[in-house]
Amino acid sequence: MLKVAVGHSNDPDSLEAVYEVLAQCQRTLESVKPKAGVLFAAIDFDHQLIVDQINEAFPGIELIGGTTDGEVSSVLGFQQDSLTLMLFCAEDIEFCAEVGRTVSQAPIDIAQQTVNTAKKRLLSPLKLCITTPESLTTSAASILDGLKLSLAEIPILGGTTGDQTHIKQTFQFFKTEVLTDSVPILLLGGNLLFSHGVSSGWSPLGKRSVVTKVEKNVIYEIDGKPALDFYHYYFETFAADLAYPLAIFPPGEETFVLRAALSYDAALRSITVSADVVEGSMIQITEAAQEDIISASKTSFEQAWDAYPGKAPTAALFFSCAWRRFILGTQTMKEYEAIAKLHPQSSSPESPNTLESPLPSCGFYTYGEISPLRAQGPTFFHNTTFVTLLLGSE
Amino acid sequence: MLQQHTENEIQSLTKENRILQKKLARSQENHAKLEETKRNKESRLNAVIVELQQSQAILEKKSTDLEQAFNQLSLMQDKLVEAEKMSALATLVTGIAHEINTPVGTSITLASTLADETAMLTTAFTQGQLTRSTLHDYLDIAAESTALLMANLSRAGDLIQSFKQVAVDQVILERRTFRVKEYLEEVLASLAPSLKKTPHTLTVTGEESITINSYPGALAQIVTNFVTNSLTHAFDLNAHGTICIDISESNGQILIHYSDDGSGVPPENLGKIFDPFFTTARHRGGTGLGLHIVYNLVIQKLQGKIEVGSQLDQGTSFKVLLPLALGAHPPSS
Repeated sequence: MLKVAVGHSNDPDSLEAVYEVLAQCQRTLESVKPKAGVLFAAIDFDHQLIVDQINEAFPGIELIGGTTDGEVSSVLGFQQDSLTLMLFCAEDIEFCAEVGRTVSQAPIDIAQQTVNTAKKRLLSPLKLCITTPESLTTSAASILDGLKLSLAEIPILGGTTGDQTHIKQTFQFFKTEVLTDSVPILLLGGNLLFSHGVSSGWSPLGKRSVVTKVEKNVIYEIDGKPALDFYHYYFETFAADLAYPLAIFPPGEETFVLRAALSYDAALRSITVSADVVEGSMIQITEAAQEDIISASKTSFEQAWDAYPGKAPTAALFFSCAWRRFILGTQTMKEYEAIAKLHPQSSSPESPNTLESPLPSCGFYTYGEISPLRAQGPTFFHNTTFVTLLLGSE
Repeated sequence: MLQQHTENEIQSLTKENRILQKKLARSQENHAKLEETKRNKESRLNAVIVELQQSQAILEKKSTDLEQAFNQLSLMQDKLVEAEKMSALATLVTGIAHEINTPVGTSITLASTLADETAMLTTAFTQGQLTRSTLHDYLDIAAESTALLMANLSRAGDLIQSFKQVAVDQVILERRTFRVKEYLEEVLASLAPSLKKTPHTLTVTGEESITINSYPGALAQIVTNFVTNSLTHAFDLNAHGTICIDISESNGQILIHYSDDGSGVPPENLGKIFDPFFTTARHRGGTGLGLHIVYNLVIQKLQGKIEVGSQLDQGTSFKVLLPLALGAHPPSS
């Protein structure tokens, strides 16, 4: 049976913060030893000190995580400059952490090899992969491609690490190490139940066109015409506006991932978007009101709740986009508040609306979210999206 | 116990202080970012305002230019309509001049012959060489020349009269009562030179006695434009075309039925035939105003109705229905 503990501290002193977090977790765990954990920390902390303290408290823990653009948990809600840790205990669930280093040198191969290595250690059937890869040194979409090569149909969920919008350097956590340019993964196997939900709040509108020529994240042609013409059909000038991302429907998918239009090349008439796009994808512009964006967290959570295969989940992980935090500003806290009202720990899935204690949860604001668009579907790399992962064993 | 409580309190306050300091630092950082964003937005907004003002000025200038262009076009249209009217008049003048030239030229030759014969007779008389037979011959020539002179000058006189009538009607647009068939024959006589150069025939049928109180000049221009149109558009190079004008009267109205057996008007053009500036012969100098003027004259000046019918390779016909007498207050042209 899965048991989780969540700690969250907004103390800016690294040692005090990790002490507080560990104390909160130990109160929940009592004497049970956790097998694994996910750690999300603001960029200003002394990360090595924190990781060392966690390993001292729980030697050999299968730990992954990374730096963020904001943290969220059922303990303190939305915070910045904070530290949050979720620990997992279960006799019948297997956890296996692994890392791929200097991933920018060969993102696909290194990511694939990392999973292959971890899979060899796993004894029970593989169910799920959680990951917190690098976002600035290489294409996170390529890292995801590598993970998918080894994981096949196994869902991958997570988010890329952040640095409080400084866009200089992000860090990943793996067991006792603090790394950069790496891809930590946590494979989960055994008696695990889980479900996920994805929502952004943006709605596609206008004509749906086909991406006919693209190279990674540079779109050259849409419907056989210069990509910039498609953009200018709707927008007179090009402004890298995060409020109007493009909806990309990957081939064969009925729902979409979002990509922000970041820049353009006037000579080539191409558009550079926030992450890779597959040729043959359908493309549409989008729009959203502030309340639609906020309510996306609720939609994402409800999707996951409805899809949960067991009686009730034990914990939730959230991966929300840094651009959402940027767009929502002081309203960001409402993303978690909307969910907190929905998921009391001891209610039934049929009526998740009687407030008791909130579902133990933990998450962070990422530079790119990772999730399938639907159950049993392939995993995609997202921008400007809210992803919910529910975990449990019954 | 108290000491422990105080220590806890101090620890808690120290922590709160750290958190507040961090929050203050972040708040200041965010404040600086907001200020920068505000400056950028203000600068962008100012740029947009300047662009809008420039756009407005350009739009106002364009609007004025468009108004001027429209006024100039209206003026040009009026001038073109007037020019077309004058062109019809010029056609008449050319025709009349050509027609008059023949009898006047013949008259000059006859007068010259008579003068020569008279000079010879005078010489013979003064020299006492005048014989009976010479006098007899002279008298024969004089009688013949005088008769021919009379006939030719009468013809010229008639033509001048007819031209005067038509020209006066064209210019003054006088309203009077006239015989329709006779008047149209006079008008068409002036077009005879143009018709003579072609293998086509033109006939006018109908009751001689049908009269109308209207504007003959307008009617002349209508029929002239019909004929000019047929000659320009209806007949192929080697065709022997027929143009018929039939005049009839019923129920207080006069029907002038004009028809040719030419190539006809394509159905897609038939609806546009009275539109101003619609022409299929602009490359040959057509202005597209001829039938537009006809339409305006029939509807406005003559208070009548006009219909067009056509079938490809069968011909084109116009039915002009006119009141026998115009209302008390004739409309302005």
